[in-house]
Amino acid sequence: MAEKILEVKDLVVEFKTDRGTIKAVNGVNFDVFKGKTVGIVGESGSGKSVSALAIMGLIPSPPGRVASGQILFNGKSLVNMEPSEMRKIRGNKIAMIFQEPMTSLNPVFTIGNQIEEVIELHQPQLSKKERTAKAVDMLRLVGIPSPESRVNEYPHQLSGGMRQRVMIAIALSCEPDILIADEPTTALDVTIQAQILELMKKLQKELGMGIILITHDLGVVAETCDSVAVMYCGQIVEAADVKTLFNHPRHPYTKGLMNSIPSFDSTSGRKKERLQTIEGMVPSLFDLPKGCNFQDRCSKVTEQCRGSHGEPTLRDLDSGHLAACFNPLN
Amino acid sequence: MSEYLLEVKNLCKTFPIKGGLLGREVGAVRAVNEVSFKIKKGETLGLVGESGCGKTTLGRSILRLIEPTSGEVLFKGKDIVNYSPSEMRAIRRKMQIIFQDPYASLNPRMTIGDILSEPMDIHELHTGKEERKARLLKLLSQVQLPPDALNKYPHEFSGGQRQRICIARALAVEPEFIVCDEPVSALDVSVQAQVVNLLMDLQKELGLTYLFIAHDLKVVEYISNRVAVMYLGNMVEVAESSELYGDAKHPYTKALFSAIPHPTTEGRHDRIILEGDIPSPMNPPKGCHFNPRCWNAKDVCRETFPTQTHHSDTHMYRCYNPISK
Repeated sequence: MAEKILEVKDLVVEFKTDRGTIKAVNGVNFDVFKGKTVGIVGESGSGKSVSALAIMGLIPSPPGRVASGQILFNGKSLVNMEPSEMRKIRGNKIAMIFQEPMTSLNPVFTIGNQIEEVIELHQPQLSKKERTAKAVDMLRLVGIPSPESRVNEYPHQLSGGMRQRVMIAIALSCEPDILIADEPTTALDVTIQAQILELMKKLQKELGMGIILITHDLGVVAETCDSVAVMYCGQIVEAADVKTLFNHPRHPYTKGLMNSIPSFDSTSGRKKERLQTIEGMVPSLFDLPKGCNFQDRCSKVTEQCRGSHGEPTLRDLDSGHLAACFNPLN
Repeated sequence: MSEYLLEVKNLCKTFPIKGGLLGREVGAVRAVNEVSFKIKKGETLGLVGESGCGKTTLGRSILRLIEPTSGEVLFKGKDIVNYSPSEMRAIRRKMQIIFQDPYASLNPRMTIGDILSEPMDIHELHTGKEERKARLLKLLSQVQLPPDALNKYPHEFSGGQRQRICIARALAVEPEFIVCDEPVSALDVSVQAQVVNLLMDLQKELGLTYLFIAHDLKVVEYISNRVAVMYLGNMVEVAESSELYGDAKHPYTKALFSAIPHPTTEGRHDRIILEGDIPSPMNPPKGCHFNPRCWNAKDVCRETFPTQTHHSDTHMYRCYNPISK
């Protein structure tokens, strides 16, 4: 078993709004292991990104706050850590790449400058020359051609895929233990997405970091992750290793998500069947139903799900395959 | 009248690049380059390609929301490129468009009733308030929205519902042809499936013809009868959607399909990872535009632009070294 480097326990993140307090993340548990990738999937507003921001200590406060729960990095709690101490970890031990490579780089600095800034902050012993050399190395590592000249270019001179590579270079420049990738390829075209995912896998092998991959694309999860957590309305509704989850989804929501993706099936004589959909839409966090949050969209709903037995909690159905459902699928 | 509802012949759109102190023209981007295709009545033609390949420009040029530089667009056999504005307005009743971003394409200050009435008023499709109301309600039921939506504002709806409103607005004038420009790209997967099903149901019910533009190959393959692949302003391959997936001739098509991550852990397939980025359309490479990224490229590919090869009646590609099955 690989070494556990991050443990998220019963994490609750609240946001105060004019219409009351909402729990964007409500009791989330997961672990990150060295050299492994954990995927967090869910639709918009399910709390994926907020969980990631909580780990980085980047929840905007106010209005948000980590209301309860633990985030343990190598056994040390990150919640309520002194800002000065957190700064030593953020960007250094735990790094993050964001969805929008277009907006997460500063347009008025060269990319070399932006990589060097991170190195300067976290490795002050290096001289200016060494920093530049390291920046060039990082660009070479992420597969940018002729890094010696690229290092002096500005973000607008690069394409979307290149910018995302630069973001990865910045995130990896301090050789973090954990990389949080929040929809790293959503803004990119499929051919570029394939390049970036391949790159992340290769670098993970070389550097042995744990990756948290946040995405809404089940295809990306299937091809890159070792384990998966499916989120819905701020809670994890199903978690398992990637094979188990895709072969035997137990939560009706997970199954529904998988069915709503058109699949290529050129061999079977079609005309293809109608896409199966999940009826209705995600309930508002201000107005969650009593009982299971998925009840109004679920085909297997029973009285039990409507609140008579409280909320379904994550339970172990089959050696490490967790689902929060009263009537799990077989 | 031919069996084709829409015929596009050698359509080109060139955008000038202005530069320098006086804003002189210093170059040109060929966003759409000599594109020709035909769509039968009741058919869906899918249009795929990476960002910047000219899909959207092509879709808009057909409706003359962007004026094409040259070429012909025959709608029911008549060339609409030289139509006067009033003739164009009349024909627009038959040709509608649904945009990608349901958040940006509805006026936040108009109620849904107003948004849906406007096209009917412009085209004088009703005799009075009573009839208009009846038609509005019918439209809402067609896109599966409740009747009380009429008095609400766009911000009261979710993304999927807004896209339904956009579809209803396109349907308000009883069009025959709809350009769907990435209609589901901004939606979550579970909602995406609902909208895709809706579009297919409406097509069956009303006999609509679609040009379906998207970068999500799975959705395009699912909804389309035929699929066209664009690269840097050129149509590089067109085929029946099942044939294109199984028997792509152009290396770019092959690579594009192989790059899609599949939601299954069984039998991970051989992926072709393309090197490099799409070249700038301002300065496309000589010969076949795909040659710098192509693993099959030969000398001839670097010299001359490939002509169309017709593999069968429905399968066209532009490549000197097509992939054999």
